[in-house]
Amino acid sequence: MSEAATLPAPAVARATWWQRVGPLLGLALLCVVLAVASPHFLTVDNLLNVLRQSAINAILALGQLVVIVTAGIDLSIGSIVGLTIVLLAMMMRGGMASALACVLTVAAGAAVGLGNGLLLTRLKLPHPFISTLGTMNVARGAALLLAAGVPISGLPSGFRETVAGSAFGIPSPVVVAGALYLVGHLFLTRTVWGRDLYAIGGNREAARLCGIPVDRRLNLAYALSGGAAGLAAVVLAARMNSGFPLAGTGAELDAIAAVIVGGASFFGGVGTAGGTLIGALIIGFLRNGLNLLDVSAYWQMIVIGAVIVAAVCIDVLRQRVGREA
Amino acid sequence: MATLTAPLLEVQGITKRFGGQPALQDVTMGLATGEVHAVAGENGAGKSTLMAILSGALRPDAGALLWEGRPVAFGDVRAAQALGISMVHQEPQLVASLSVAENVGLGRLPSRLGPLRVVDRGRLRGQALQALRLVRAELSPERRVDTLGVAERQLVAIARALHVGARLIILDEPTSSLSAAETESLFATLGALRQRGTAIVYISHRLEELRALADRVTVLRDGRVVTTVPVAETSNDALILAMSGRELAAVDAARDERPAGDVVLEVRGLTRRGRLHEVSLEVRAGEIVGLAGLVGAGRSRALRTVFGADRADRGEVRVLGAGGSGRRVGTLREAIAAGVGLVPEDRRALGLVMTASVAENIGLVTPPGTRRLGLLRRRALREVARRAVEALRIKTRGLDAPVRTLSGGNQQKCVLGRWVGPESRVLLLDEPTRGVDVSAKAEIHRHLRELAGRGLAILVSSSELPELLALCDRIVVMRQGRVVGELPRARASAPELVRLATGTR
Repeated sequence: MSEAATLPAPAVARATWWQRVGPLLGLALLCVVLAVASPHFLTVDNLLNVLRQSAINAILALGQLVVIVTAGIDLSIGSIVGLTIVLLAMMMRGGMASALACVLTVAAGAAVGLGNGLLLTRLKLPHPFISTLGTMNVARGAALLLAAGVPISGLPSGFRETVAGSAFGIPSPVVVAGALYLVGHLFLTRTVWGRDLYAIGGNREAARLCGIPVDRRLNLAYALSGGAAGLAAVVLAARMNSGFPLAGTGAELDAIAAVIVGGASFFGGVGTAGGTLIGALIIGFLRNGLNLLDVSAYWQMIVIGAVIVAAVCIDVLRQRVGREA
Repeated sequence: MATLTAPLLEVQGITKRFGGQPALQDVTMGLATGEVHAVAGENGAGKSTLMAILSGALRPDAGALLWEGRPVAFGDVRAAQALGISMVHQEPQLVASLSVAENVGLGRLPSRLGPLRVVDRGRLRGQALQALRLVRAELSPERRVDTLGVAERQLVAIARALHVGARLIILDEPTSSLSAAETESLFATLGALRQRGTAIVYISHRLEELRALADRVTVLRDGRVVTTVPVAETSNDALILAMSGRELAAVDAARDERPAGDVVLEVRGLTRRGRLHEVSLEVRAGEIVGLAGLVGAGRSRALRTVFGADRADRGEVRVLGAGGSGRRVGTLREAIAAGVGLVPEDRRALGLVMTASVAENIGLVTPPGTRRLGLLRRRALREVARRAVEALRIKTRGLDAPVRTLSGGNQQKCVLGRWVGPESRVLLLDEPTRGVDVSAKAEIHRHLRELAGRGLAILVSSSELPELLALCDRIVVMRQGRVVGELPRARASAPELVRLATGTR
């Protein structure tokens, strides 16, 4: 390993450069291909539509990123969407003010996420895969029980129009996701908490020996991921005009895919909000483009699966080249 | 001494490049049956690359390898093993959750019932016992490897190499985690293997070891062979000169006497069941105190417990301010707030975040003045890192260079760099120079002396007695979790320290 010391400078610089620019290049390439292949792709309506459709996955992916940066994973976010969307619908049907109900919904998501964190840090479960797998089932079961298995419909129209509508021609979900990414980016890069999460993911024991309160930070990461799921539930409720207890089924996997396609390392310590946003957009544009080209839903799954594997392959190859070159 | 007969392995003009950067250039050397051949050189000299080529893990770009006079195409670990070449890595590559016997036989477990491949436990046990006898290890083949100490794991790894049928064993710094007594026992084992005609390539930084063990030594510098000489015909100074390419100023020899100040670190009756018993010691401002003892004597545990990284059942740690005002520290965060820093034993596993940059690694402790309301003050943080890089002369392309691109010695200085700010009062170091090259080691020693000169209280643990004797004002000796003696520098000597550490008369 001592030869790492003689690693020439450009190899490292190239690696960092690729990590930043790679996903963006992928997105640009995808857009060019789709624009050539379909005349309907490059229209304002269609692009806004893609952004709107990608917003929920993007919100979930940001929460997932915060957890993956710590070398963890959160499988429960799809179920948290289901649970909190039911809670939101019940609160609104009970006559609660929409704004308060939304805030409580996000808080409920964060509370469930904090539970994930505590399972990990207090009960010392060996891996977040296990704790969040448990929560995934518990939260989904609770959602179905609360809603008696059926959607709760009929939400206040004001709520629907505000959250699912548009502001200055831009769909509200896009505004919400955009603002969240700005905050998320600043959180990860400028705050002590964000920096600590990267350190924990990069080397948990070294982080601890530097005085970083590892358990508290992990609790925070899972609470943020749960909170993001709660926020996604608010946006989804407005779009669907109901609280459907099966909402968000499988959403955790799309979120993980966006994070990984966006250049984050599954082993922790590496990943950016910008990359994850691009990852979510790549998946959104891919779905949209394949729809426009009339590719069947079955083939879409195969293509998206291939893209996930390819993105990671490129990353692995790049690292290998970086190490040997 | 072995008779140097026909060469077993000849290395002819090996060149290996990584992305245009030559790691090895025209390396030629020969190995005889029954020879112990040391390979010495600083970090980055090309030792690891050469060993990777010999063991088949890497394919050379140019040159030839002759095994018993016949050219062989390397680049395949299994092919190298089939010839009888085995490598024992610095950190033994064993499966911790399996037994000693299973590790010895790994990859070639004897089986019965034909295609069902049921492991033949009886035969495996027999084979393992035979291999363990060769390395003179009295271990039960049934023991799980994770219950073994480092020295025992090393022996299991060598036994495994022998079981594979090794005629040439490559050892990469095998003693870096071993105590003096364990090292001696390993040497006896290697001596016995040499008698059987096994050739040994031995990589080490430690000149005393080369001298004790090797027949010949090849010195590498910047990827080239500087010299190959019989060990008996060269001096330590000549070897150091060959490795570093420059004369080392006698930094280790001259030590100015410093008047010690007030007690800064006071440890009273620190106890952890089964690990530490009533450990008491104190370190004064400007003093460097050594912690000597065998591996497993509790030195690391003592440092970690003083720092608050491990919990104590009883006892207390105080950091005293000016005028003797005491501040009791119990947790790691309290310790850091009181100005205590720890440079842990294993910089890769415990010290550094390899995915992060030099500046980020140094700033990980978020020293006072680098945060405000939870926000990082990035400029202040960079300033702290810049000062540490300058003060410790860390060789890096820049503050933002990934820390993994630095050499071992410079990585270690990054860990040290966290604790050299103005708020530091006590520095705890666990094997601070393990696995760093000769000149980086001398440099780290010089920095520690400077820090002591600034009034820091320094407590340093090391398995290398010469290091402690050169560095410390006082040496505290531990055995089986207890402090068993304390020697001022004037009375400290290697034999005396060994006597205390082993409990012999």
